Amino acid sequence: MRYGAVTLWAALLAYPLVLYNQFYWDIGVGLLLAAITASAWNIVGGYAGQVSVGHAMFFGIGAYAPLLVYHLWKLPPVAGVPLAIGLSLALAVIIGVPTLRLKGHYFSMATIAIAELIRIFVGTWDLVGAAIGLQGPAVGRGWWDLTFRSEIPYYYIFLGVLAVLLSVTAVVERGRFGYYLRAIKAGERAARSLGVPVQQTKLKALMLSAAFTSVAGSLYAIKTGFIDPESGFGILVSVQMVIVAALGGAGTRLGPLVGALVLVPAQTAINTWFGGGGTGLTYILYGGIILVLARFEPGGLHELWHRAAPLLRRRARAA
Amino acid sequence: MLLEASEVSMAFGSFAAVSGASLAVEEGEIVGLIGPNGAGKSTFFNCLAGDMQPTSGRIVFAGVDLTRTSPETHALAGIGRTFQVPATFEDMTLLDNVMVGAFLRYPQPEQAREHARRILGLTGLGGYAGQRARSLGTPGRKRLEIARVLATRPRLMLLDEALAGLTPTELQQAVALVREIHASGVTLVIVEHIMEVIMTLTKRVLVFNQGHVIASGAPESVVREEAVIEAYIGRGRRKRRQ
Repeated sequence: MRYGAVTLWAALLAYPLVLYNQFYWDIGVGLLLAAITASAWNIVGGYAGQVSVGHAMFFGIGAYAPLLVYHLWKLPPVAGVPLAIGLSLALAVIIGVPTLRLKGHYFSMATIAIAELIRIFVGTWDLVGAAIGLQGPAVGRGWWDLTFRSEIPYYYIFLGVLAVLLSVTAVVERGRFGYYLRAIKAGERAARSLGVPVQQTKLKALMLSAAFTSVAGSLYAIKTGFIDPESGFGILVSVQMVIVAALGGAGTRLGPLVGALVLVPAQTAINTWFGGGGTGLTYILYGGIILVLARFEPGGLHELWHRAAPLLRRRARAA
Repeated sequence: MLLEASEVSMAFGSFAAVSGASLAVEEGEIVGLIGPNGAGKSTFFNCLAGDMQPTSGRIVFAGVDLTRTSPETHALAGIGRTFQVPATFEDMTLLDNVMVGAFLRYPQPEQAREHARRILGLTGLGGYAGQRARSLGTPGRKRLEIARVLATRPRLMLLDEALAGLTPTELQQAVALVREIHASGVTLVIVEHIMEVIMTLTKRVLVFNQGHVIASGAPESVVREEAVIEAYIGRGRRKRRQ
């Protein structure tokens, strides 16, 4: 596993330099963004088993805040990142305290409802551009605006954020907090009987997850220089996080990254082959993945590998 | 007195599952709770563990009132419990399962791991530390639950049918384990249907029927009491036998 991880990171570092082409850079940046959002979702959705389908609310806040500080006060968009983190943490507490008491599907439904309410509200709020949305600086006033012509700087910024997030996840995984999250996922009642402060632990996980999801939203908005209610708070944003994590292996450190490595190129292929007419196919792809995972392998590719690896090793030894 | 539950009642709507049950346990005792199915033992047990908050009554443990506190507070105070249907963390290894319990007293992972390994050794599960809990059969899961609770270093352990469904050999081993736990200074309250276990392990039992404590005392004398026999085999049958 260690060699696998080193190879994976080396490949990610070398990718934009080896495949030196705008098309591949686009895929790379999209892939890293999907990996960041899914890894952030994974902390609460994967490890703690609290399947939020409304994480777009944090992504949207993260995306809107940088462009709002530019729109209102002409500040560099990156100045909005701490504001977005603060707002996301506050929202996580406000919605987490009541909703994290809900079990299973009820929690998921509550998060969908809240995210949709926020999307509709933002779509009518003039301060944030209502249905039209907000724009960032068209031309960078300096390096601090982070408007690069090439995709390569974005690629490495995104890769850096992903590395930080996965390092934090590794620390969480090894410590008491990580054990408590997995125990909560496995059985809340038993966890409580062993002294696990369930509500407090779930809330902390949601806050950590919200903060990183918000950073992902900020990165997206700073890179694209544009945000509207659908691309910030739309349900597809939330669903993508869940699907990417579940495909690779929810509740595992590298699962979301693996999921992104499979899903994003597949999506790009669909878009390339079918052009604008392929937009609806993304939903079909997501639906198909949900069906296959639910029927055959709820643990995702990570679990599949863990089951297949011993068989492959045995076969290799026999040969 | 280590545990003092007085006049505990638990009602679900108009149905009284437990009515005015009292139990006092001295440090170092093993007390048994018996009674037919649906007598209210498990509900009473859940109240003692903090899983349910009694409708009325009072639960005091080591001088602290725990009547309306959460299971987390009960665990922290030193009350550990197992479940009638084992609730092990299926996808976690045995070591990780026990570490979750160990973290209550040892917040550092290295210390928690060391403590968990010691407990796994003590409960005879040391050889399976790296296996997932789902790979165990029922006896193994029950043993793992006991190990997980032991890792929290409880002063009082509540065992809910922890020995049910075991073969005679497994039962002997489990009784030996319970004795070992008791010898290490842990007080025990056990719910059990197997009378052989109750007779072997306990010096005092409480008999539940229809939410009430109908008898208490030494197991040998309690099982001869009229009310207890009636609760188990019914009045009509006794009359017919007479």
